[in-house]
Amino acid sequence: MRRSAGEWALFAPILAFVTLFALLPVAFLFATSLSGAGGWGGLGALLADPLNRQAVGNSLLQGGLSAGLAVALGYPAGVFVGRYLWPGRSVVRSVLLVPFLLPSLVVVLGVEDLFGTAGLLSGRIPEASFFGSGVPGIVLVNLVFNLPLVVLLTATGCEVASRDLEETVATLGGSPARAYRDTWGRPTWVGAAAGGFLTFLFSALSFAPPILLCGARCYTVEARIWSLDTVLLDPSGAGVLALAMVVLFVAPSLAYLLLARRLRPSGGRRESGARPLPRRSLGVGLLAAETVVVLGGVALVLGAVLYRTVAPYGHQGAGAAWGTLFAPSTAARLGIGIPGALANTLLFAVAAAGIAVLLVVPAAFSALRGARAGTGLGLLLFAPLLVSPVVLAFALATFWRPLLGGESAVWALVIVSQAMLALPFALQTLTIPLSGLSPEARESAQTLGAPRFAAFLDADLPRARQGLLTAGLLAFALGLGEFTATFFLVTPRYTTLPVALYGLVNSRQLPLADAAAGLLLLLSLAVFLGLSFGGRRVEL
Amino acid sequence: MSSSEPTLSVGGLSAAWDGAPVLRSVSFDVGSGELVVLLGPNGSGKTTLLRCLAGLEPITAGRVRLEGRDLARVPPHRRGIALMFQEPALFSHRTVFENIAYAPLLQRRRRAEVDDEVSRLVDLLRLGGLEDRDPETLSGGERQKVALARTLAARPRVVLLDEPFASIDVEGKAELRAEFRHALRASGTSAVHVTHDREEGFFLGDRVGLLFDGALETWGPPADVFATPRTPRAARFLGYNVLPGPAGPVAVLPSELAADPSPAAPRPWTVVAAGTVGREGLVILRGPANERVEWRVPEPFEPPSMGTPVALTWVRSRPLRP
Repeated sequence: MRRSAGEWALFAPILAFVTLFALLPVAFLFATSLSGAGGWGGLGALLADPLNRQAVGNSLLQGGLSAGLAVALGYPAGVFVGRYLWPGRSVVRSVLLVPFLLPSLVVVLGVEDLFGTAGLLSGRIPEASFFGSGVPGIVLVNLVFNLPLVVLLTATGCEVASRDLEETVATLGGSPARAYRDTWGRPTWVGAAAGGFLTFLFSALSFAPPILLCGARCYTVEARIWSLDTVLLDPSGAGVLALAMVVLFVAPSLAYLLLARRLRPSGGRRESGARPLPRRSLGVGLLAAETVVVLGGVALVLGAVLYRTVAPYGHQGAGAAWGTLFAPSTAARLGIGIPGALANTLLFAVAAAGIAVLLVVPAAFSALRGARAGTGLGLLLFAPLLVSPVVLAFALATFWRPLLGGESAVWALVIVSQAMLALPFALQTLTIPLSGLSPEARESAQTLGAPRFAAFLDADLPRARQGLLTAGLLAFALGLGEFTATFFLVTPRYTTLPVALYGLVNSRQLPLADAAAGLLLLLSLAVFLGLSFGGRRVEL
Repeated sequence: MSSSEPTLSVGGLSAAWDGAPVLRSVSFDVGSGELVVLLGPNGSGKTTLLRCLAGLEPITAGRVRLEGRDLARVPPHRRGIALMFQEPALFSHRTVFENIAYAPLLQRRRRAEVDDEVSRLVDLLRLGGLEDRDPETLSGGERQKVALARTLAARPRVVLLDEPFASIDVEGKAELRAEFRHALRASGTSAVHVTHDREEGFFLGDRVGLLFDGALETWGPPADVFATPRTPRAARFLGYNVLPGPAGPVAVLPSELAADPSPAAPRPWTVVAAGTVGREGLVILRGPANERVEWRVPEPFEPPSMGTPVALTWVRSRPLRP
């Protein structure tokens, strides 16, 4: 299908946005850092630095361990969620998104609440403190954060499998094991592998867990970049390490993208081959038990945070931390009151969601008109995730802050970074339901005289309003929970709730941190309720 | 199996979804090499019946026997009954050849035997030259032929066909029907075909059944089933008009109606539409109880005006059970 110049122009806003606020600043950062570090020779010297090598090793170890365990534990649960119908299945499927919408700080806090010093579990079983710090603690946080993603993507794999093909194989004489191997097993492997690569990326690039649960010896590359820039005041070194990191993680990022595209249903419709639970099946019983254990474990960690917000803590009564959280002493400690931080959080998230929605609507129209353009756009939008939130924020600060002038630009850069990080997921969430719409209404509008884009706005977009609303809510939720880029950019005046939470955890004000995390958790749950209402569906 | 034993015997088969009955005591037999067709409107239980025969859905009562063997506890992959869906459900990552060879390889037949089998079926279904193509590059009709070849390559005792021509255009459908019948005859496989298309059913079936609301209402040779509708709904499904006769409702074909020439005859029918279809006229009328009647008039035909009252008589009628 040939595109008109007008249709190409619809790509322009999103291309300009990504170019101006991601590609250009990152390229500038890499160029200036390489120049400052003495060129490519400087890159070699930097990689020879034992601490940098240790950070690369930590990233690979933590990412690999987390991904392996997430796939091993999440795959059976994903099959159970995606393949069988059982009471509460759709609610569980929606709840799986909650950890993804939270900052990893909340999960860190949950792990500390359970397994840290005087934790709810480690207080009773001292051996459980093994999971409260160091690499085991970090991997546990990564698992709680990412395991639901593996479950979701594996379940999505089940849903794109053709039930007709599976049943055809059965009636042709293929055993259930053979039908699994030849038909529905394949997409589940694709889903689990996509989840594994995503887990690897999120874990290898994790920021708060290694800083808070272990310290410098466990720093990932991401944490090391932050340390080089803000602690050791070596921005050139940080920039060059960021470049090395992009090179290191480009392969798993592309692998995730390619696998995730294979999970996209043809024509936007999923087969949804879920079937009733078979009676008396040992295998399915084991799948159910594993699902309960795995998802129960995730719920336990998040539940520990909520429990701590209301439970008595030390000599203080139940819920005392809530009062202290809003007290002037906390505002003095953080440089901003919690209401102010909450207002910043909501403001930034709303603005980022608005930008994301405005950009993805014309982009979704253009992506619908050509699969290649859609793939190219997906790759382009994934670039900011590939370079990681810290590097994106670092690049934005390096390139744009001098041009925009100091602190006055901070709020704008925070909004831009949050919108940028939400774009690929928002586009995916809007494009899939749009591609499932029959073209007749749009074509009727065109034959009645509407130009193509007007016909899209009049005929398609209203029918995909649930997808549009979901994309907006998802972008808002991701903004609510965004910590890493925001932390890198904000000054105290523009501190958000996740950044305030980090300050409280870092200063070991755990009761206050629990209360702040509980507030974030409740906000995320409210957004989750909005997302799950009416069967809205987020596409990862 | 004794010589009189049918290949497939279905007795008193019932099934339900969430407690609501979908099939009600369905019974019929399929002989060796016989092609039977079950006709019924959408929602009559045709697909559920096939899925029950294939073992893909549980049954609540009755039995299914294959060559005398009760299939109650036999899983789908051990039944020897292959189901072909409305959509061909081909392996998109395998070529046409590999799709057809799937079941023979599953059965661990020798490679040379598999090649011979695939070649035979490729010739039988006129798929020559397509062996190395991906299924996505084929037309709808070609994909259905590949699906049938894949099914026959499994050498099932019975093939179940679930409206395989539903998404094929009219011209392709006629040719495909003939090719399917030829291939099934040549392979000697018994088959149960379900469809809502009565022309297709009467063209293909050695015996035909009418399925309504999950119950098999009529069963027999196609000519008999067509000639003797038993109930008003069967008559309407087969294209008859249902008219009030002196001793109850009767079935009358549209071509068996005529205008009553008697000037004294009452005129209870009103013309609501009229036009020419090919070389004959077609008049749609409504009766006093809003019943619809179709009247086919041979040439020369002068379409009556809408709203014209008409007196009808008929040259032949068949009594129906009320």
